[in-house]
Amino acid sequence: MTEEFEPRIIAFLCKWCSSAGSDLAGVSRMEYPPNVTPIQVMCSGSVSPLYIFSAFSRGADGVLVSGCHPGDCHYIKGNFYARRKLAMVKKLLEHVGLDPERFQMSWVSAAEGQKYTQIIKDFVNELKPLGPQMKLRRNP
Amino acid sequence: MVNIEDLKSEARRVLKGGKVKYIIGYERASETWKANPVFLKNPEDADKLVWDPTCFHNLVRFVVDEKRRKAKEKQPDTRPVGIVAKGCDSRAIIVLLQEKFIERMDVYIIGVSCESTGVIDERKLAKKTAGKTVQKVEFGEKQNYIVTTEDGTMDIPAAEIMADRCLECIANIPVVSDHLLGDKTKRAVARPFQSVEKLESLSQEDKWKFWTDQMKKCIRCYACRSACPMCYCDECVVDTINFAVTADTTAEEKAQRIKWLEKSPIDSENIFYHLVRAIHLAGRCIDCGECERACPVNIPLRMLNKKMEKEAKELFGYDVGFDADQPALISCFRDGDPEDFIR
Repeated sequence: MTEEFEPRIIAFLCKWCSSAGSDLAGVSRMEYPPNVTPIQVMCSGSVSPLYIFSAFSRGADGVLVSGCHPGDCHYIKGNFYARRKLAMVKKLLEHVGLDPERFQMSWVSAAEGQKYTQIIKDFVNELKPLGPQMKLRRNP
Repeated sequence: MVNIEDLKSEARRVLKGGKVKYIIGYERASETWKANPVFLKNPEDADKLVWDPTCFHNLVRFVVDEKRRKAKEKQPDTRPVGIVAKGCDSRAIIVLLQEKFIERMDVYIIGVSCESTGVIDERKLAKKTAGKTVQKVEFGEKQNYIVTTEDGTMDIPAAEIMADRCLECIANIPVVSDHLLGDKTKRAVARPFQSVEKLESLSQEDKWKFWTDQMKKCIRCYACRSACPMCYCDECVVDTINFAVTADTTAEEKAQRIKWLEKSPIDSENIFYHLVRAIHLAGRCIDCGECERACPVNIPLRMLNKKMEKEAKELFGYDVGFDADQPALISCFRDGDPEDFIR
């Protein structure tokens, strides 16, 4: 019997919305796949492209960056900067041949526990057929 | 056509007046056909200046170095530095101004127009001349170059040996200059991103194969970083020591410093380095092609940077290096920025 591939997702969640959203999903006992490793950051705008490359290099199968909805940022405009910066990162990763599904971004507010679980479910389902991410993974 | 005498007399004039500290230009290096960067301090040296299709260097890098030098001096000479700038070089100056790395009065720009052609690609020329020793390359009258070899002269259409970047150049005349030489007609380029388009049409697997084959070659000499006028960070992510080590730094602190990527030239680390470099140059790279020219193993680095330039243009309508008052690409935003990729 072969075991099904379980992707490993690194999620950068902003402290003020998405992280609270994932907390809500937890305390409301909503079920979602355990494949995600959340990392709390102060703002989605503080996510350096380096974090994303580094996550892939250390073996992540998918990376999610999640922040507040546009206009709701605790720091007023952090997520607008994130949106620009990470759009470029996404295009660059596609350009070198990484599957575009492997890097995702979402807006999840503190009240959207349901949305958060749905995003993770979808993400895991998209990653499963792709198999492990070996392209950017650091060579042993 | 840029009159070389005009260039020399302008250089002589500013040097004589003591207006500039020195002028960075191009000279004919002894016994070679290529132009070399030269620093002119005396008015009588102005005769050394040349302008021909072999002036491919981006001299703005020396302006960056000059700023570093000046910061170390106790009583710095605050006069501007003169620089002979092509269209692409002037865009590099714009980006440096935009980022407030230099002030406008730090440079005296003698702009030279590339007119309807551009500079040559050494590798393409070597192929064309098939091993013959080149003695001189000159601009022709209409989109051609006159190449003098040991066997006589050859008339080569510009498109055949022109550098790739010049084929896609959108600034054949300097964007900013204090003194502009040559024809001021703007040249229209039909497809400024044609080289990337070819790569974009490949499938994800083919793209990955293309890039891994290229990155395998990288020896991590950092020539691309050294040649780049935009790579002026004091601390680069690839340098192992990029935090201050003082007498008080404990062994634990040293051990726990973040090491993003390995220095050794392994494939995965090479691509990591080039990705970081590409994203750092997104919206800043002005496509002078120096990284690709400096690369000893011929990695098409321009393809990474050009892609970023293309996306900046298509997603955000951002033209790199044309307006010094515009904020940098990722330090500004619009409400209507695309977010179709966000859930």
